[in-house]
Amino acid sequence: MHIYAFGSVCRGDIDTESDIDLLSIVDGYDDRFDSSTYSIYSYNRLMELWKEGNPFAWHLATEAKIIYSSNGKDFIKDLGEPKEYIKCKQDCIKFFNLYCKAVDSISSGGNSVIFEMSSIFLAVRNFATCYLLGQHKIGNFSRRSALQMNKKSIQISNDTYRILERSRVLCIRGTGKIINRNEFENSWDEIISIKNWMENLLDEVIENG
Amino acid sequence: MDEFNNRMEAQRNVLEVINRQLDKKEELCGLSKKAIERWIVANQINSESEICKILYTISEKLFFLANKSQEQISEEYRMVSSEISELKLDLEKAIG
Repeated sequence: MHIYAFGSVCRGDIDTESDIDLLSIVDGYDDRFDSSTYSIYSYNRLMELWKEGNPFAWHLATEAKIIYSSNGKDFIKDLGEPKEYIKCKQDCIKFFNLYCKAVDSISSGGNSVIFEMSSIFLAVRNFATCYLLGQHKIGNFSRRSALQMNKKSIQISNDTYRILERSRVLCIRGTGKIINRNEFENSWDEIISIKNWMENLLDEVIENG
Repeated sequence: MDEFNNRMEAQRNVLEVINRQLDKKEELCGLSKKAIERWIVANQINSESEICKILYTISEKLFFLANKSQEQISEEYRMVSSEISELKLDLEKAIG
């Protein structure tokens, strides 16, 4: 069994809402680990992610810090560098589709607005992370990766980004203030404009193969 | 649709059933265990109720596939996906 910390606490990128991301690596099922506290992976699955060059493998390889090892070895360090990330186009399309579906759901009167806003945040952050890793070999795994792309950064206000981020925290951790109607309405035009940002970057990804 | 977006769609469908109830103070924001716990407290729902039990079961099933390999995923996804559809019907009946 191995336990690692990763995410904001390892980057020093913390604020009052930061949680501590913990990874446990186990053989088979281990009921000591609660999946709402730990990301639980098997050794085999992690090795697969390394072979795929999956962004999560790059995330862990870049940031993870060992907390406990049952055999005295650092499993992640010993895996070395993950394979090159080659599924950028596929993943960017996947997160673009997620964004479109969430916007469609809200536009057609869906009743789970915070869940949809959370999905939009997930789509935006993961799209940015995959684009940076696939197109520029930059590993940026921050929740604010879409705002840290220099000239290619997403063009929405901090307030709107924050509302999306709060929705994600409500959806996953169940904490924070509920998004009210005014906040939602004030951010909606900018949320719709995200489509152009994604389409432009997607064109670039498709052009580069 | 890819497996990831299928899983998001399954969550959307379950949340739609819960959030169509207009008498609730707060909407259910997601199907993580912690989001369900918040919804129960905010709306003063009996945590032993049939609705809560079904929601926790769906939550476990949805997150069950997250670290499965691609080879395992197709067959298990089909199985879990059909179980979730049945649980969604149970949820509709429990809400009445």
